Amino acid sequence: MTKQEGYRKKRLDRGIKARSDTLFAVASWKEILYLMIPRFLPVAVLLLLPLFLGNYWNKVLVYACIYGLLALSWDFLASCGLFSLGQSLFFGVGAYIAGGLNYYFHLPPLITIPIATIAGGILCSALLTPVMRLRGVYFAMVTLILPLLLMKIIETTGVFGGTQGLSSLSGFPHEMLSIYIAVVGFLACLFLFRRIINTDYGLILRAIRDDDRSVMSGGINIYWRKSQALFIAGAAGGFAGALMTHHYQFLGMSVFALDYSILPVAAVALGGQGTFAGAAIGSMLLVPLSEALRALGGLRVAIYCGVLIVSIILLPEGFFHYLARKYHQFEKVVKIG
Amino acid sequence: MSLLIYGLINSVILALYTVGFSLTYGISGLANFAHGALYILSGFVAWSLMNAAGLPFAVSGILAVLITAAIGFAFYWVLILRVRGIPLAELIVTFAAGVAILELMTWKGFYGLRYSLPVFVNGGVEIAGVGIDYQRLIVLASGLVLVIGLWLFVHHTRIGLAFRAMAQNERTALSIGIESDWIGALSLAFGAALAAIAAMVVLPLGVMESTIGYDVLIYALAVAIVGGLESTLGMIAGSFLIGYGQIAAARYIGAKWMVIVPLAAIVFVLSVKPSGIFGKFKELEERV
Amino acid sequence: MRRGAMIFSGIFLLAILVVLPTSQAATVKPIVIGVPTSLYTPFGRDGLKAVNLAVKEINAKGGVKVGTQRRPFKVVIADTRGGEPNTPVHDALMAYERLITKEKPDAIVVGAFRSEVLIAGMDLVAKYKIPQLSTIAQSPGFQKKFMKDPKKYKYLFRVTTDALVDATYLNNTLDILKKKFGLKNAYFIYQDTLWAKAFSGLMSRHCKKTGWKIVGFDGYAAGATDFSPALSKARESKVQLIGMVWDVPLGAGVFAKQYAAMKVPALLIGFIPPMASPMAVKTLGPGVEYSMSIEFPVGASLPLKKLPKTGDFLSKFKKEYGALPEAAAVNSSAYDAVFILANAIERTGSLNPDKLAAALEKTDYAGVSGRIRFNKQHIAVFGTKDPKKEGVCVIFQWQKDSAGKLKRVPVYPAFLAEGKIQLPPWMKK
Repeated sequence: MTKQEGYRKKRLDRGIKARSDTLFAVASWKEILYLMIPRFLPVAVLLLLPLFLGNYWNKVLVYACIYGLLALSWDFLASCGLFSLGQSLFFGVGAYIAGGLNYYFHLPPLITIPIATIAGGILCSALLTPVMRLRGVYFAMVTLILPLLLMKIIETTGVFGGTQGLSSLSGFPHEMLSIYIAVVGFLACLFLFRRIINTDYGLILRAIRDDDRSVMSGGINIYWRKSQALFIAGAAGGFAGALMTHHYQFLGMSVFALDYSILPVAAVALGGQGTFAGAAIGSMLLVPLSEALRALGGLRVAIYCGVLIVSIILLPEGFFHYLARKYHQFEKVVKIG
Repeated sequence: MSLLIYGLINSVILALYTVGFSLTYGISGLANFAHGALYILSGFVAWSLMNAAGLPFAVSGILAVLITAAIGFAFYWVLILRVRGIPLAELIVTFAAGVAILELMTWKGFYGLRYSLPVFVNGGVEIAGVGIDYQRLIVLASGLVLVIGLWLFVHHTRIGLAFRAMAQNERTALSIGIESDWIGALSLAFGAALAAIAAMVVLPLGVMESTIGYDVLIYALAVAIVGGLESTLGMIAGSFLIGYGQIAAARYIGAKWMVIVPLAAIVFVLSVKPSGIFGKFKELEERV
Repeated sequence: MRRGAMIFSGIFLLAILVVLPTSQAATVKPIVIGVPTSLYTPFGRDGLKAVNLAVKEINAKGGVKVGTQRRPFKVVIADTRGGEPNTPVHDALMAYERLITKEKPDAIVVGAFRSEVLIAGMDLVAKYKIPQLSTIAQSPGFQKKFMKDPKKYKYLFRVTTDALVDATYLNNTLDILKKKFGLKNAYFIYQDTLWAKAFSGLMSRHCKKTGWKIVGFDGYAAGATDFSPALSKARESKVQLIGMVWDVPLGAGVFAKQYAAMKVPALLIGFIPPMASPMAVKTLGPGVEYSMSIEFPVGASLPLKKLPKTGDFLSKFKKEYGALPEAAAVNSSAYDAVFILANAIERTGSLNPDKLAAALEKTDYAGVSGRIRFNKQHIAVFGTKDPKKEGVCVIFQWQKDSAGKLKRVPVYPAFLAEGKIQLPPWMKK
């Protein structure tokens, strides 16, 4: 659409949006559908998808869910003002806890995954407690460096199999089971986070992001709250790491690789910040895209980066916000004056 | 003695890696994650000019610096400008652009032993019983010249003064007629040029490979953070701390601990003094 | 904004369209060989070239006889990027698995570069039951894992040498150096990865046993770019011999340049790809003279007069690609692997993986790298005695010929040697 002189675009809420915002939502099936479709359709699609995809694309789906979990955990931290560049820390810690327990103590995945989730969360918040007072870019740098540091330590000292990693870990009894654990875990995490952030508890977290000093003056210990947020985000990342370890039955120090830190952030940047749904959509777009580009061979990552740059420049607000606006509002051209 | 000399060389190399990154960040607050990619890109540009166009190294080196600066300038104008002020988008765009540059170079086949820049002068001397080659002495000298030159530049030229004005207060700078985007683009161009100069003197020490880009970025980040992000003095202090730390670790603990030094330094310094050794991040200090 | 969205979706669609597979029609169904490897490393790159060369030769003769039908080979590749430090293993495995499920190869050659990927990939190969002849990764972890469940991993073979064999060659050379020139101070530098550590460990243990004085045994991280601590230490403590094992091109290149620049008066020996490469003089200058390097197995980059097959392979390679292979290792193994595969297919007359694996076990093939047979752990047998009985390696030294040109001269073992080891003049007292 070309710009017309003397006119401007005006956005208005759709009628159905206004109606379904209130109690009238229950009055008609149309409004109910309007509210339900964006929530239930993706869930249904995700739950049914594994039945129709092939072996290979199911792996991609698991991959997407795992990156999705990391992106959600990133978005959760960002919601309380912690801008992290080290999701691979959470991922790697969870992976090493689960893999170590399985390799040295032969515990089955159904025990190691919950342990890795909880212990991963605790360990990550403990590791990051000393630097929790940092803000902005400084916190980001420390989180970027920490996983690399752990990776080098494993490489140097040779603990947990060193550079060679631990292989032949036990997997899930059935392929489908692991796929559904990934999908359900991802969806559960998505809705749980959305719920948490809208409770009073989440309100405090968001307030810390917006103005931490006013929260402090309200008599709330923001560092304790931040470490709780770190625990929640760490647990999500740890779950993803443990899942990946058992899914591939292999654990190496590359779980701390930069990929697991940068890709989730890219997913959020693509999908849109602050709503979790954006993070989910972003990872569901990015990971399959990256796999599809594999056919291009050597140029794959370069093109991938190109697509990422172009989409962020064209839609800086993120994909989700754009979709949500189109869904709720319509535009019309009005005359200025 | 060799510890002193090679520690010094290592520190200067680290400072050369960082100076461009820190300049760009100091002026326009833009963390250029494509810094490492620009560094190695300039090396390949120089190599291609030498081997495809048959130019001597001196000419192609200077051309490579200019070309890299132009790329940095265009980079700001085409990409960064559109996402300016959104830290998340800035980060992803610069990082993705950096990775894209590195990947394109890998795809073009820029790896392997063929790709190596010649040293300026062959041979070496012995200083206090320590053998050292001329190229490393040139690295030392150019590090010194660069720092002094930079200081003179930002204190005594119009553009340099505008840079400092931007760094100190962007709005006031705007109100006295300094165009913020123009200076931002210039700062990125300067950062890129500095990366290229560093590449021209440091790369002849070894072979070239696109993965060096990641290392340079990590080192630049490490030095800049340890020293304090926008302080030149801090940058020098940071590079000396890490540079000597590495050589000492290699000598007394074990060579494989070298890589851990910069990372450990970051975690340690930041948990003790969150804005780096010489950082002057007021807002941050108040909140600690 | 709408325009932006349209451009965005346009690009997105374009990306998807590009990705859509194109259909291919063929009259005789070719035998598909998968080459999943890290093309970024010289080993992967030249290995692939060697495979293509072998395939071209076989196809020119009409292909491989499967039962009654002659079928050509077809090579499909996947760049796992496994050799690059930033690639997660999972990502490399995805590329591996994609190759297997999409292209449905009948066999895999070359394989992973990093031991981590090779070992993690073993389960994958066993799951899809595809015979694999790996030719790069030398980790002893392969045998260890193989012995855990030989039945499950029976599709896996390794055509190239093991670190153990390589070290034996170097140890024997060290003995000669000690006996002939009376050298006794040694310093070892290795890349801190499993196989290099095992390799240099074998060398230093041998030295201790035979009366060398070990001045240092230093592991450097694979990404290291400064070796001055070790080199200056070596210089100060009057080391006469530096043993070095390093496979990442970057660090090795820096080391080679730094070694020449710092003028350490010690003989260099080991596995250092940039110094062993045919292009070493061009990239590193005249400083490479007198340095010694192992090539495993023979025929990887150096034509040997006493093994004409190596010359044949390398001159074909040079004719096809315009230059000799870059790395002094494993290229001839990749070439041999294709012939071993063709050989096994013809013997069993089928592409059934179980039958093929059984046929591969019985391999007895006289290739470029010597006579190839597999032992119980599915590893090609290499030794130091006789190329007619086993696979062999060679050690060579950069020496000036009569015209003053630097050349690589094989010096050990005796049945391959074309010259004698020379001691640099600056080491003689």
